[in-house]
Amino acid sequence: MIRHIRVLLAAHLRDERRAGEVGLVIIPFGLVALLVIPMAVGIDTPLLDRIGPGLFWAVLVLFGTVVTQRQSATEGDARRDLFTLLGVDPAARFAAAALAGTILLTVFAVVVGSVTMVLYDPTIPGAAWLALIVPLACAGIAMVGTLAAAVAGGLGTRSSLAPLLVVPISVPILLAAAQATEGLRAGAGILRWILLLAVVDVVLALAGVLTARPLEES
Amino acid sequence: MIKPLDVAAGSVLVTALVLGLVVPPDAVQGDLQRIMYVHVPSAWLAYLSFGLTLVFGVAYLRTRRIRWDHLAGASAEVGVVFTGLALVTGSIWGKPVWGVWWTWDARLVLTAVMFFVYLGYLALRRAFEDPEVRARRASVYGIVAVAQIPLVHFSVVWWRGLHQPPTVLRPGDPQIDGPLLAALLAAVFAFTVVYAALVSRRAEVARLEDLAAALPADGAVAGAGISAPPIVGGGR
Amino acid sequence: MSDWGWVALAFAIVYGTLGAYTAALMRRAARLRRGVER
Repeated sequence: MIRHIRVLLAAHLRDERRAGEVGLVIIPFGLVALLVIPMAVGIDTPLLDRIGPGLFWAVLVLFGTVVTQRQSATEGDARRDLFTLLGVDPAARFAAAALAGTILLTVFAVVVGSVTMVLYDPTIPGAAWLALIVPLACAGIAMVGTLAAAVAGGLGTRSSLAPLLVVPISVPILLAAAQATEGLRAGAGILRWILLLAVVDVVLALAGVLTARPLEES
Repeated sequence: MIKPLDVAAGSVLVTALVLGLVVPPDAVQGDLQRIMYVHVPSAWLAYLSFGLTLVFGVAYLRTRRIRWDHLAGASAEVGVVFTGLALVTGSIWGKPVWGVWWTWDARLVLTAVMFFVYLGYLALRRAFEDPEVRARRASVYGIVAVAQIPLVHFSVVWWRGLHQPPTVLRPGDPQIDGPLLAALLAAVFAFTVVYAALVSRRAEVARLEDLAAALPADGAVAGAGISAPPIVGGGR
Repeated sequence: MSDWGWVALAFAIVYGTLGAYTAALMRRAARLRRGVER
Protein backbone atom coordinates (compact mmCIF):
# COMPACT_ATOMS: atom_id res chain seq x y z
CA MET A 1 0.00 0.00 0.00
CA ILE A 2 2.73 2.48 0.94
CA ARG A 3 4.57 1.52 -2.20
CA HIS A 4 1.46 2.19 -4.30
CA ILE A 5 1.09 5.60 -2.71
CA ARG A 6 4.73 6.44 -3.41
CA VAL A 7 4.49 5.36 -7.02
CA LEU A 8 1.23 7.20 -7.64
CA LEU A 9 2.50 10.31 -5.89
CA ALA A 10 5.57 10.31 -8.11
CA ALA A 11 3.30 9.96 -11.15
CA HIS A 12 1.20 12.94 -10.09
CA LEU A 13 4.23 15.14 -9.54
CA ARG A 14 5.74 14.02 -12.83
CA ASP A 15 2.52 15.01 -14.55
CA GLU A 16 2.80 18.45 -13.04
CA ARG A 17 6.43 18.81 -14.02
CA ARG A 18 5.57 17.88 -17.57
CA ALA A 19 2.46 20.02 -17.95
CA GLY A 20 3.55 22.76 -15.58
CA GLU A 21 -0.01 23.86 -15.12
CA VAL A 22 0.27 24.85 -11.48
CA GLY A 23 3.53 26.68 -11.92
CA LEU A 24 2.83 28.40 -15.19
CA VAL A 25 -0.89 29.03 -15.07
CA ILE A 26 -2.53 28.73 -11.69
CA ILE A 27 0.12 30.47 -9.64
CA PRO A 28 0.20 33.42 -12.03
CA PHE A 29 -3.60 33.49 -11.83
CA GLY A 30 -3.36 33.74 -8.07
CA LEU A 31 -0.76 36.48 -8.33
CA VAL A 32 -2.83 38.47 -10.75
CA ALA A 33 -5.76 38.27 -8.34
CA LEU A 34 -3.59 39.76 -5.60
CA LEU A 35 -2.57 42.52 -7.96
CA VAL A 36 -6.09 43.30 -9.07
CA ILE A 37 -7.77 43.43 -5.66
CA PRO A 38 -6.18 46.70 -4.52
CA MET A 39 -7.37 48.18 -7.78
CA ALA A 40 -10.85 47.37 -6.59
CA VAL A 41 -10.62 48.21 -2.89
CA GLY A 42 -8.02 50.96 -2.87
CA ILE A 43 -4.29 51.05 -2.16
CA ASP A 44 -4.55 52.65 1.28
CA THR A 45 -1.56 51.13 3.11
CA PRO A 46 -3.21 50.43 6.49
CA LEU A 47 -6.16 48.86 4.67
CA LEU A 48 -3.91 46.56 2.68
CA ASP A 49 -1.96 45.67 5.80
CA ARG A 50 -5.23 44.67 7.45
CA ILE A 51 -6.73 42.67 4.62
CA GLY A 52 -3.55 41.19 3.16
CA PRO A 53 -3.33 37.96 5.15
CA GLY A 54 -7.06 37.31 4.92
CA LEU A 55 -6.96 37.78 1.19
CA PHE A 56 -4.09 35.35 0.93
CA TRP A 57 -6.12 32.64 2.62
CA ALA A 58 -9.18 33.41 0.51
CA VAL A 59 -7.12 33.18 -2.68
CA LEU A 60 -5.61 29.90 -1.47
CA VAL A 61 -9.01 28.34 -0.79
CA LEU A 62 -10.69 29.65 -3.91
CA PHE A 63 -7.87 29.00 -6.33
CA GLY A 64 -6.88 25.82 -4.60
CA THR A 65 -9.85 24.17 -6.27
CA VAL A 66 -8.29 24.87 -9.65
CA VAL A 67 -5.10 23.14 -8.51
CA THR A 68 -6.81 20.01 -7.20
CA GLN A 69 -9.30 19.71 -10.05
CA ARG A 70 -6.58 20.13 -12.69
CA GLN A 71 -4.66 17.37 -11.04
CA SER A 72 -7.50 14.89 -11.22
CA ALA A 73 -8.40 15.95 -14.73
CA THR A 74 -5.03 14.77 -15.97
CA GLU A 75 -5.63 11.36 -14.48
CA GLY A 76 -8.40 10.37 -16.84
CA ASP A 77 -10.79 7.45 -16.91
CA ALA A 78 -8.54 5.01 -18.71
CA ARG A 79 -5.78 5.39 -16.19
CA ARG A 80 -8.22 4.98 -13.32
CA ASP A 81 -9.59 1.77 -14.84
CA LEU A 82 -6.06 0.52 -15.28
CA PHE A 83 -5.33 1.04 -11.60
CA THR A 84 -8.49 -0.81 -10.67
CA LEU A 85 -7.49 -3.72 -12.87
CA LEU A 86 -4.06 -3.78 -11.30
CA GLY A 87 -5.66 -4.07 -7.89
CA VAL A 88 -4.53 -0.73 -6.56
CA ASP A 89 -6.39 0.09 -3.37
CA PRO A 90 -8.70 3.07 -3.98
CA ALA A 91 -7.67 4.43 -0.60
CA ALA A 92 -4.08 4.49 -1.83
CA ARG A 93 -5.20 6.45 -4.87
CA PHE A 94 -6.93 8.96 -2.61
CA ALA A 95 -3.88 9.27 -0.39
CA ALA A 96 -1.52 9.79 -3.30
CA ALA A 97 -3.76 12.37 -4.94
CA ALA A 98 -4.24 14.20 -1.66
CA LEU A 99 -0.51 14.21 -0.94
CA ALA A 100 0.31 15.47 -4.40
CA GLY A 101 -2.31 18.17 -3.99
CA THR A 102 -0.86 19.17 -0.63
CA ILE A 103 2.61 19.53 -2.11
CA LEU A 104 1.40 21.53 -5.09
CA LEU A 105 -0.77 23.75 -2.93
CA THR A 106 2.08 24.39 -0.51
CA VAL A 107 4.23 25.52 -3.42
CA PHE A 108 1.34 27.71 -4.55
CA ALA A 109 1.00 29.08 -1.02
CA VAL A 110 4.68 29.87 -0.63
CA VAL A 111 4.87 31.75 -3.93
CA VAL A 112 1.57 33.58 -3.54
CA GLY A 113 2.27 34.23 0.15
CA SER A 114 5.62 35.81 -0.60
CA VAL A 115 4.04 38.13 -3.15
CA THR A 116 1.32 38.98 -0.64
CA MET A 117 4.04 40.10 1.76
CA VAL A 118 5.50 42.31 -0.94
CA LEU A 119 2.29 43.87 -2.23
CA TYR A 120 0.35 44.19 1.01
CA ASP A 121 3.21 44.50 3.51
CA PRO A 122 1.42 43.00 6.49
CA THR A 123 3.18 42.81 9.82
CA ILE A 124 2.99 39.33 11.24
CA PRO A 125 4.89 38.67 14.45
CA GLY A 126 5.64 35.00 14.98
CA ALA A 127 5.39 34.35 11.25
CA ALA A 128 7.35 31.16 11.85
CA TRP A 129 4.07 29.58 12.93
CA LEU A 130 2.97 29.87 9.33
CA ALA A 131 5.35 27.03 8.56
CA LEU A 132 2.90 24.84 10.48
CA ILE A 133 -0.35 26.57 9.55
CA VAL A 134 0.23 26.63 5.79
CA PRO A 135 0.86 22.89 5.26
CA LEU A 136 -2.02 21.97 7.58
CA ALA A 137 -4.36 24.21 5.62
CA CYS A 138 -3.04 22.99 2.27
CA ALA A 139 -3.53 19.37 3.32
CA GLY A 140 -7.15 20.09 4.20
CA ILE A 141 -7.84 21.94 0.97
CA ALA A 142 -6.14 19.19 -1.03
CA MET A 143 -8.23 16.49 0.61
CA VAL A 144 -11.49 18.33 0.05
CA GLY A 145 -10.49 18.91 -3.56
CA THR A 146 -9.53 15.28 -4.09
CA LEU A 147 -12.82 14.11 -2.60
CA ALA A 148 -14.76 16.56 -4.75
CA ALA A 149 -12.92 15.42 -7.87
CA ALA A 150 -13.68 11.80 -7.02
CA VAL A 151 -17.33 12.49 -6.45
CA ALA A 152 -17.79 14.73 -9.49
CA GLY A 153 -15.45 12.73 -11.71
CA GLY A 154 -16.30 11.74 -15.23
CA LEU A 155 -18.24 14.86 -16.03
CA GLY A 156 -17.50 17.47 -18.61
CA THR A 157 -19.14 19.99 -16.33
CA ARG A 158 -17.08 19.08 -13.32
CA SER A 159 -14.97 22.20 -13.65
CA SER A 160 -17.92 24.36 -12.68
CA LEU A 161 -19.32 21.95 -10.11
CA ALA A 162 -16.21 21.27 -8.04
CA PRO A 163 -15.68 24.76 -6.60
CA LEU A 164 -19.26 24.80 -5.34
CA LEU A 165 -18.68 21.43 -3.70
CA VAL A 166 -15.34 22.45 -2.22
CA VAL A 167 -15.65 25.98 -0.92
CA PRO A 168 -18.52 25.70 1.60
CA ILE A 169 -16.97 22.71 3.34
CA SER A 170 -13.60 24.44 3.34
CA VAL A 171 -14.98 27.12 5.66
CA PRO A 172 -13.39 25.63 8.81
CA ILE A 173 -10.02 25.54 7.07
CA LEU A 174 -10.32 29.13 5.90
CA LEU A 175 -11.53 30.41 9.23
CA ALA A 176 -8.93 28.49 11.23
CA ALA A 177 -6.05 29.62 9.05
CA ALA A 178 -7.21 33.23 8.84
CA GLN A 179 -8.02 33.49 12.53
CA ALA A 180 -4.71 31.89 13.46
CA THR A 181 -2.95 34.53 11.40
CA GLU A 182 -5.01 37.29 13.00
CA GLY A 183 -4.20 35.73 16.36
CA LEU A 184 -0.50 36.04 15.61
CA ARG A 185 -0.98 39.71 14.80
CA ALA A 186 -3.05 40.38 17.91
CA GLY A 187 -0.78 38.36 20.17
CA ALA A 188 -3.73 36.15 21.08
CA GLY A 189 -3.91 32.39 21.46
CA ILE A 190 -3.76 30.44 18.24
CA LEU A 191 -3.66 26.95 19.69
CA ARG A 192 -7.38 26.31 19.24
CA TRP A 193 -7.18 27.20 15.57
CA ILE A 194 -4.21 24.95 14.92
CA LEU A 195 -5.99 22.20 16.79
CA LEU A 196 -9.06 22.76 14.62
CA LEU A 197 -6.97 22.52 11.47
CA ALA A 198 -5.48 19.27 12.69
CA VAL A 199 -8.89 17.83 13.52
CA VAL A 200 -10.28 18.88 10.12
CA ASP A 201 -7.36 17.15 8.43
CA VAL A 202 -7.90 13.96 10.39
CA VAL A 203 -11.65 13.93 9.68
CA LEU A 204 -11.07 14.54 5.98
CA ALA A 205 -8.39 11.87 5.77
CA LEU A 206 -10.70 9.35 7.42
CA ALA A 207 -13.56 10.36 5.13
CA GLY A 208 -11.37 10.04 2.06
CA VAL A 209 -10.01 6.64 2.98
CA LEU A 210 -13.31 5.18 4.17
CA THR A 211 -15.33 6.35 1.17
CA ALA A 212 -12.73 5.45 -1.45
CA ARG A 213 -13.92 1.90 -1.95
CA PRO A 214 -17.73 2.56 -1.85
CA LEU A 215 -17.14 5.20 -4.48
CA GLU A 216 -15.49 2.77 -6.86
CA GLU A 217 -17.61 1.82 -9.85
CA SER A 218 -18.71 -1.73 -9.19
CA MET B 1 -54.00 12.55 -4.69
CA ILE B 2 -54.35 13.63 -1.07
CA LYS B 3 -52.92 11.22 1.46
CA PRO B 4 -53.54 11.07 5.23
CA LEU B 5 -50.09 12.49 5.89
CA ASP B 6 -50.96 15.52 3.78
CA VAL B 7 -54.16 16.08 5.70
CA ALA B 8 -52.29 15.81 8.99
CA ALA B 9 -49.62 18.21 7.78
CA GLY B 10 -52.16 20.72 6.56
CA SER B 11 -54.15 20.69 9.79
CA VAL B 12 -51.21 21.06 12.14
CA LEU B 13 -49.79 23.79 9.93
CA VAL B 14 -53.00 25.79 10.05
CA THR B 15 -53.13 25.32 13.82
CA ALA B 16 -49.58 26.58 14.15
CA LEU B 17 -50.32 29.55 11.94
CA VAL B 18 -53.32 30.55 14.02
CA LEU B 19 -51.50 30.07 17.31
CA GLY B 20 -48.63 32.20 16.10
CA LEU B 21 -51.00 35.02 15.35
CA VAL B 22 -53.21 34.93 18.45
CA VAL B 23 -50.85 34.33 21.37
CA PRO B 24 -49.85 37.41 23.36
CA PRO B 25 -46.95 39.49 22.07
CA ASP B 26 -43.53 39.27 23.66
CA ALA B 27 -42.78 41.64 26.53
CA VAL B 28 -39.55 42.94 24.99
CA GLN B 29 -39.89 42.77 21.21
CA GLY B 30 -43.65 43.09 20.91
CA ASP B 31 -45.44 41.62 17.94
CA LEU B 32 -42.21 41.52 15.93
CA GLN B 33 -41.18 38.50 17.94
CA ARG B 34 -43.90 36.44 16.23
CA ILE B 35 -41.49 35.94 13.36
CA MET B 36 -39.88 33.43 15.67
CA TYR B 37 -42.85 31.13 14.98
CA VAL B 38 -41.70 30.71 11.39
CA HIS B 39 -37.98 31.37 11.73
CA VAL B 40 -37.11 28.87 14.46
CA PRO B 41 -39.09 25.96 12.94
CA SER B 42 -37.52 26.64 9.55
CA ALA B 43 -34.05 26.60 11.06
CA TRP B 44 -34.84 23.42 12.99
CA LEU B 45 -36.00 21.71 9.81
CA ALA B 46 -32.96 22.97 7.93
CA TYR B 47 -30.75 21.08 10.35
CA LEU B 48 -33.00 18.04 10.63
CA SER B 49 -33.22 17.63 6.84
CA PHE B 50 -29.48 17.90 6.65
CA GLY B 51 -28.92 15.17 9.18
CA LEU B 52 -31.50 12.92 7.58
CA THR B 53 -29.93 13.40 4.15
CA LEU B 54 -26.80 11.90 5.66
CA VAL B 55 -28.72 9.05 7.30
CA PHE B 56 -30.55 8.19 4.08
CA GLY B 57 -27.27 8.34 2.16
CA VAL B 58 -25.59 5.93 4.55
CA ALA B 59 -28.64 3.66 4.36
CA TYR B 60 -28.25 3.60 0.59
CA LEU B 61 -24.58 2.69 0.75
CA ARG B 62 -25.32 -0.17 3.11
CA THR B 63 -28.40 -1.61 1.41
CA ARG B 64 -27.95 -0.34 -2.17
CA ARG B 65 -31.71 0.06 -2.36
CA ILE B 66 -32.46 3.06 -4.55
CA ARG B 67 -35.41 4.06 -2.37
CA TRP B 68 -32.97 5.43 0.22
CA ASP B 69 -31.36 7.61 -2.37
CA HIS B 70 -34.75 8.98 -3.42
CA LEU B 71 -35.32 9.89 0.21
CA ALA B 72 -31.88 11.47 0.50
CA GLY B 73 -32.45 13.66 -2.53
CA ALA B 74 -35.93 14.56 -1.35
CA SER B 75 -34.67 15.47 2.11
CA ALA B 76 -32.00 17.68 0.57
CA GLU B 77 -34.40 19.51 -1.68
CA VAL B 78 -36.93 20.08 1.08
CA GLY B 79 -34.03 21.02 3.33
CA VAL B 80 -32.76 23.68 0.98
CA VAL B 81 -36.23 25.22 0.92
CA PHE B 82 -36.34 25.40 4.73
CA THR B 83 -32.79 26.70 4.88
CA GLY B 84 -33.66 29.47 2.45
CA LEU B 85 -36.73 30.30 4.51
CA ALA B 86 -34.67 30.35 7.69
CA LEU B 87 -32.25 32.81 6.10
CA VAL B 88 -34.96 35.06 4.70
CA THR B 89 -36.99 35.15 7.91
CA GLY B 90 -33.82 35.73 9.89
CA SER B 91 -33.13 38.73 7.67
CA ILE B 92 -36.66 40.03 7.93
CA TRP B 93 -36.50 39.73 11.72
CA GLY B 94 -33.12 41.40 11.89
CA LYS B 95 -33.96 44.46 9.79
CA PRO B 96 -36.39 46.16 12.18
CA VAL B 97 -34.46 44.96 15.26
CA TRP B 98 -30.92 45.89 14.21
CA GLY B 99 -31.52 48.09 11.18
CA VAL B 100 -29.57 45.82 8.83
CA TRP B 101 -30.64 42.91 6.63
CA TRP B 102 -27.64 40.81 7.55
CA THR B 103 -25.50 40.50 10.62
CA TRP B 104 -22.60 38.16 10.86
CA ASP B 105 -24.28 36.37 13.73
CA ALA B 106 -22.84 32.86 14.10
CA ARG B 107 -26.13 31.11 13.52
CA LEU B 108 -26.95 33.08 10.39
CA VAL B 109 -23.49 32.42 8.95
CA LEU B 110 -23.78 28.72 9.76
CA THR B 111 -27.17 28.54 8.09
CA ALA B 112 -25.82 30.34 5.04
CA VAL B 113 -22.91 27.91 4.73
CA MET B 114 -25.33 25.02 5.05
CA PHE B 115 -27.45 26.53 2.30
CA PHE B 116 -24.50 26.42 -0.06
CA VAL B 117 -23.57 22.90 0.94
CA TYR B 118 -27.12 21.87 0.06
CA LEU B 119 -26.89 23.65 -3.29
CA GLY B 120 -23.67 21.82 -4.09
CA TYR B 121 -25.21 18.50 -3.11
CA LEU B 122 -28.26 19.12 -5.29
CA ALA B 123 -26.10 20.27 -8.21
CA LEU B 124 -24.09 17.09 -7.87
CA ARG B 125 -27.24 15.00 -8.00
CA ARG B 126 -28.44 16.81 -11.11
CA ALA B 127 -25.19 16.09 -12.90
CA PHE B 128 -25.68 12.35 -13.06
CA GLU B 129 -28.42 10.56 -14.97
CA ASP B 130 -27.68 7.00 -13.99
CA PRO B 131 -29.51 6.44 -10.69
CA GLU B 132 -26.86 4.12 -9.25
CA VAL B 133 -23.96 6.44 -10.01
CA ARG B 134 -25.89 9.43 -8.72
CA ALA B 135 -26.83 7.61 -5.54
CA ARG B 136 -23.28 6.49 -4.85
CA ARG B 137 -21.66 9.87 -5.49
CA ALA B 138 -24.31 11.81 -3.62
CA SER B 139 -24.15 9.50 -0.60
CA VAL B 140 -20.40 9.88 -0.33
CA TYR B 141 -20.52 13.66 -0.71
CA GLY B 142 -23.34 13.79 1.82
CA ILE B 143 -21.18 11.96 4.34
CA VAL B 144 -18.19 14.23 3.75
CA ALA B 145 -20.30 17.38 3.91
CA VAL B 146 -22.19 16.47 7.06
CA ALA B 147 -19.00 15.28 8.75
CA GLN B 148 -17.65 18.77 8.23
CA ILE B 149 -20.65 20.53 9.72
CA PRO B 150 -19.64 20.23 13.39
CA LEU B 151 -16.26 21.64 12.41
CA VAL B 152 -17.92 24.48 10.50
CA HIS B 153 -20.01 25.09 13.62
CA PHE B 154 -17.00 25.36 15.92
CA SER B 155 -15.00 27.49 13.54
CA VAL B 156 -17.86 29.97 13.02
CA VAL B 157 -18.87 30.13 16.68
CA TRP B 158 -15.28 30.64 17.82
CA TRP B 159 -14.85 33.29 15.15
CA ARG B 160 -17.95 35.27 16.07
CA GLY B 161 -17.66 34.49 19.78
CA LEU B 162 -16.49 37.98 20.70
CA HIS B 163 -19.06 39.77 18.62
CA GLN B 164 -22.48 38.53 19.65
CA PRO B 165 -25.17 41.17 19.83
CA PRO B 166 -26.76 41.67 23.25
CA THR B 167 -28.75 38.60 24.25
CA VAL B 168 -32.01 40.37 24.71
CA LEU B 169 -32.05 41.53 21.11
CA ARG B 170 -30.99 38.24 19.52
CA PRO B 171 -33.83 36.71 17.57
CA GLY B 172 -34.43 33.20 18.70
CA ASP B 173 -33.31 33.74 22.25
CA PRO B 174 -36.04 35.78 23.93
CA GLN B 175 -37.03 34.34 27.30
CA ILE B 176 -40.24 32.60 26.48
CA ASP B 177 -42.58 30.48 28.47
CA GLY B 178 -46.23 29.64 28.75
CA PRO B 179 -48.39 30.31 25.70
CA LEU B 180 -45.48 31.62 23.64
CA LEU B 181 -43.51 28.45 24.20
CA ALA B 182 -46.57 26.39 23.35
CA ALA B 183 -47.02 28.28 20.10
CA LEU B 184 -43.37 27.77 19.26
CA LEU B 185 -43.45 24.04 19.96
CA ALA B 186 -46.65 23.71 17.98
CA ALA B 187 -44.97 25.41 15.04
CA VAL B 188 -41.89 23.21 15.29
CA PHE B 189 -44.08 20.11 15.41
CA ALA B 190 -46.20 21.31 12.49
CA PHE B 191 -43.20 22.05 10.32
CA THR B 192 -41.78 18.62 11.08
CA VAL B 193 -44.97 16.94 9.91
CA VAL B 194 -44.91 19.13 6.81
CA TYR B 195 -41.32 18.03 6.23
CA ALA B 196 -42.38 14.38 6.35
CA ALA B 197 -45.23 14.99 3.92
CA LEU B 198 -43.05 16.95 1.50
CA VAL B 199 -40.22 14.42 1.56
CA SER B 200 -42.67 11.62 0.97
CA ARG B 201 -44.06 13.41 -2.08
CA ARG B 202 -40.68 14.46 -3.38
CA ALA B 203 -39.30 10.93 -3.06
CA GLU B 204 -42.32 9.67 -5.00
CA VAL B 205 -41.57 12.19 -7.76
CA ALA B 206 -37.97 10.94 -7.83
CA ARG B 207 -39.16 7.36 -8.15
CA LEU B 208 -41.45 8.34 -11.03
CA GLU B 209 -38.65 10.27 -12.72
CA ASP B 210 -36.39 7.23 -12.64
CA LEU B 211 -39.20 5.12 -14.08
CA ALA B 212 -39.88 7.63 -16.84
CA ALA B 213 -36.20 7.89 -17.72
CA ALA B 214 -35.94 4.11 -18.03
CA LEU B 215 -38.76 3.88 -20.54
CA PRO B 216 -37.80 3.35 -24.18
CA ALA B 217 -38.00 6.58 -26.12
CA ASP B 218 -41.18 7.27 -27.97
CA GLY B 219 -41.22 8.52 -31.51
CA ALA B 220 -38.88 7.96 -34.38
CA VAL B 221 -35.35 6.88 -33.76
CA ALA B 222 -32.93 8.43 -36.18
CA GLY B 223 -32.98 6.50 -39.36
CA ALA B 224 -36.28 4.77 -38.60
CA GLY B 225 -38.00 6.91 -41.19
CA ILE B 226 -35.79 5.57 -43.94
CA SER B 227 -36.68 2.24 -45.40
CA ALA B 228 -34.71 0.20 -47.87
CA PRO B 229 -35.54 0.98 -51.49
CA PRO B 230 -37.46 -1.80 -53.23
CA ILE B 231 -35.24 -3.97 -55.40
CA VAL B 232 -36.39 -3.81 -58.99
CA GLY B 233 -35.09 -6.28 -61.48
CA GLY B 234 -31.91 -8.21 -60.84
CA GLY B 235 -28.89 -7.29 -58.71
CA ARG B 236 -26.00 -5.12 -59.86
CA MET C 1 -43.20 49.41 8.18
CA SER C 2 -45.09 48.45 11.29
CA ASP C 3 -44.20 45.40 13.34
CA TRP C 4 -47.25 43.55 12.07
CA GLY C 5 -46.14 44.42 8.54
CA TRP C 6 -42.86 42.60 9.05
CA VAL C 7 -44.63 39.66 10.66
CA ALA C 8 -47.10 39.46 7.79
CA LEU C 9 -44.25 39.57 5.28
CA ALA C 10 -42.39 36.74 7.00
CA PHE C 11 -45.50 34.60 7.39
CA ALA C 12 -46.56 35.20 3.81
CA ILE C 13 -43.18 34.20 2.44
CA VAL C 14 -42.98 31.05 4.53
CA TYR C 15 -46.51 29.76 4.14
CA GLY C 16 -46.64 30.93 0.53
CA THR C 17 -43.42 29.11 -0.35
CA LEU C 18 -44.51 25.92 1.35
CA GLY C 19 -47.85 26.04 -0.47
CA ALA C 20 -46.28 26.78 -3.84
CA TYR C 21 -43.71 24.02 -3.42
CA THR C 22 -46.41 21.52 -2.46
CA ALA C 23 -48.51 22.49 -5.47
CA ALA C 24 -45.52 22.19 -7.79
CA LEU C 25 -44.73 18.73 -6.44
CA MET C 26 -48.30 17.57 -6.91
CA ARG C 27 -48.33 18.86 -10.50
CA ARG C 28 -45.04 17.21 -11.29
CA ALA C 29 -46.14 13.90 -9.83
CA ALA C 30 -49.42 13.96 -11.77
CA ARG C 31 -47.61 14.71 -15.03
CA LEU C 32 -45.08 11.95 -14.47
CA ARG C 33 -47.77 9.46 -13.56
CA ARG C 34 -49.58 10.22 -16.80
CA GLY C 35 -46.37 9.75 -18.75
CA VAL C 36 -45.43 6.48 -17.08
CA GLU C 37 -48.86 4.90 -17.40
CA ARG C 38 -48.95 5.55 -21.14
